[in-house]
Amino acid sequence: MLAAQVLINALVLGCLYACIAIGFSLVWGVLNVINLIHGSFIVLGAYLAWGLYQSLHISPWYALGIAAPAFFVLGYVIQRLILNRVITAPVLVTLTLTFGLDLILNNAMIYYFKADYRKLTLTPPMGSVSLFDVVVPIDRLIATASALALTGILYLILRRLRVGRAIIAVRLDRDAARLMGVDVNSIYAIAFGLGAALAGCAGVLMALIFPISPLTSTAYLGKAFVVCVLGGLGSVSGALAGGILLALIEGIGSALIGPAHATTLSFALLIVFLIVRPQGLLGRKGFE
Amino acid sequence: MTRSRLTSRRLNSLLLAACLGLSASAALAQDVVKFGAPLPLTGPLAPEAIKQQQGYDLWAEQANKAGGISVGGKKYKVEIVYADYQSNTPRAVQTTEQMITQNNVNFLFSPFGSGAAKAGSSVSEKYKVPTIASTASSAQVYDQGYKYLFGTFTPNDTLTTPLTQIVKAKATDVKKVAILARNDLFPLAIAQEMEKSAKANGLEVVYSEKYAINTLDHSATLSQIKSLAPQWIFVTGYINDLLLVRKQMADQQIKAGVLTMIAGPAYQEFIDAAGASGENITSAAWWHPAAQYSGKDIFGTTANYVKLFRDKYKSDPDYAQASASVSGALFQMAIERAGSLDRDKVRDELARMNEMTFWGPVKFGPTGQIDSLEPPVLQLQGGKAVVLSPALIKQGEFRLGVN
Repeated sequence: MLAAQVLINALVLGCLYACIAIGFSLVWGVLNVINLIHGSFIVLGAYLAWGLYQSLHISPWYALGIAAPAFFVLGYVIQRLILNRVITAPVLVTLTLTFGLDLILNNAMIYYFKADYRKLTLTPPMGSVSLFDVVVPIDRLIATASALALTGILYLILRRLRVGRAIIAVRLDRDAARLMGVDVNSIYAIAFGLGAALAGCAGVLMALIFPISPLTSTAYLGKAFVVCVLGGLGSVSGALAGGILLALIEGIGSALIGPAHATTLSFALLIVFLIVRPQGLLGRKGFE
Repeated sequence: MTRSRLTSRRLNSLLLAACLGLSASAALAQDVVKFGAPLPLTGPLAPEAIKQQQGYDLWAEQANKAGGISVGGKKYKVEIVYADYQSNTPRAVQTTEQMITQNNVNFLFSPFGSGAAKAGSSVSEKYKVPTIASTASSAQVYDQGYKYLFGTFTPNDTLTTPLTQIVKAKATDVKKVAILARNDLFPLAIAQEMEKSAKANGLEVVYSEKYAINTLDHSATLSQIKSLAPQWIFVTGYINDLLLVRKQMADQQIKAGVLTMIAGPAYQEFIDAAGASGENITSAAWWHPAAQYSGKDIFGTTANYVKLFRDKYKSDPDYAQASASVSGALFQMAIERAGSLDRDKVRDELARMNEMTFWGPVKFGPTGQIDSLEPPVLQLQGGKAVVLSPALIKQGEFRLGVN
């Protein structure tokens, strides 16, 4: 029964990890930008959900509808006004820029919200469901379903909508896409906006599960990074596969060799992937 | 002619005024006692440093409001010199030395935590500067044979032993203990003490593991603990870890006779964030605002200290802030008794200190670490921390069962 519980825990957690990582993966895959502000966007999303619930009693499920457009606009503006100026520079320049932006946003959150940990506790609590002694908390189940839905929506945007095809085209070959009449700068801003919207929504969902503090942004960023490398960059299904693989490794590792070594195990796997399969589980080889 | 005479008179008076001003400012400069406080004001330890700073500032403000520290009939204002060592221990050592050699501080407060306090103490010992460590509990900090280092935290086992004794006496069904510790200096040291204490009291330790810093999910670990059915779950870590563990325990419907979390429940922010799920969680800390001591230090009673703190910061103090404040108050008592700013005389007064304070009874042992204090054991009851021991400040009875 313990094995079944560990497996279920890992599957649920894997979907949450995918939700954390998918926006990061999109921005890295399309813009070739390692967006270090991603973790802080997630935390800001969590504060948004917490604030709306505490002050206006707006359920986090409705907060998703507010977070998505608000963060899209925030991401779009940041890309257009700041990031776009160095978008063609080497990756180290954009990395440093997003590092600086992250410092500003994170410290602003520490200043405004303080570094105290807060918790969004629903009243009444949602409780858990159990089946043959395997227990799954309902808030995690709903967050998982929402994470899968967000992943599905992004997949549909990329596959079915004109703007999504343009994003894919820019990802595959920027110059060819420009020759075909795609406004590359606009697509970059839209992709960055989508990444920010996904981070904001992930933050809203994480607020239900994890304590909220600006100090947690690095933990989210670290998970997003590992999931992207495991799953493959810029791939929606890759983020899901990477998230579930990471959660499985951590869960099984924790049960077998102790929780202190679970993170070591996941980072060891990261190194193995970087050597053996740098494109990740579902990424395309040779794609930068 | 007249004009030149006038000008020369003016010049003379100006010179005189300047001289008087200089001598006045020199007198002012002399009438200050400087305390150095190297703190990790930026970096991961910044929240802790801010607490320290609040504690020191409150003491300095109160001391200065009363006219300053009285030294041989003369009042000296308190000035605290802060420096940021960016949560970097080697830099803490450099900063400590800089404070002595460049800022010319008279006395020192240690850098934050046991590790940095131990590192910094080698410098203050070299320069023979009396130093009070307000956040170092590990005995290894004090067993170096140093003469100028004093600490306001008792050793870690003084937190776990009274707790085990209460559980052993009041919860006779508790036979199996599971211990989960954050892989960090203080949380790990407390967990090790708990393991010793449990074994010494005939309890079976069925699970003892540590989790990595920044762990985002404890579900696998908690599933394993649940399968072992311990009656006492003992978790160490910082507020975020403990909130997460508590939430995930509830998610997995894990129940236990006793749930201990160190040091979360000692902080108001943990109590606020945990809400109803915090009920009956036990903890231990070196001090708690619910304590009721009546001391001879500048703050007098614990209640007065809590009031002054609330007035200034609009929140309740915890043991970290109180420890910083009492460190200043102890320096003040030692200096006033020595009647001098001579470092050796003040050091001797600290060494022979045996006084009641708002923090509790203060007497430093032969190593410099406080050995008079009995840290309170707490339990969250009805959304409030209630003191279960020591008997002197007890407020309620131990309650069994955490759902």
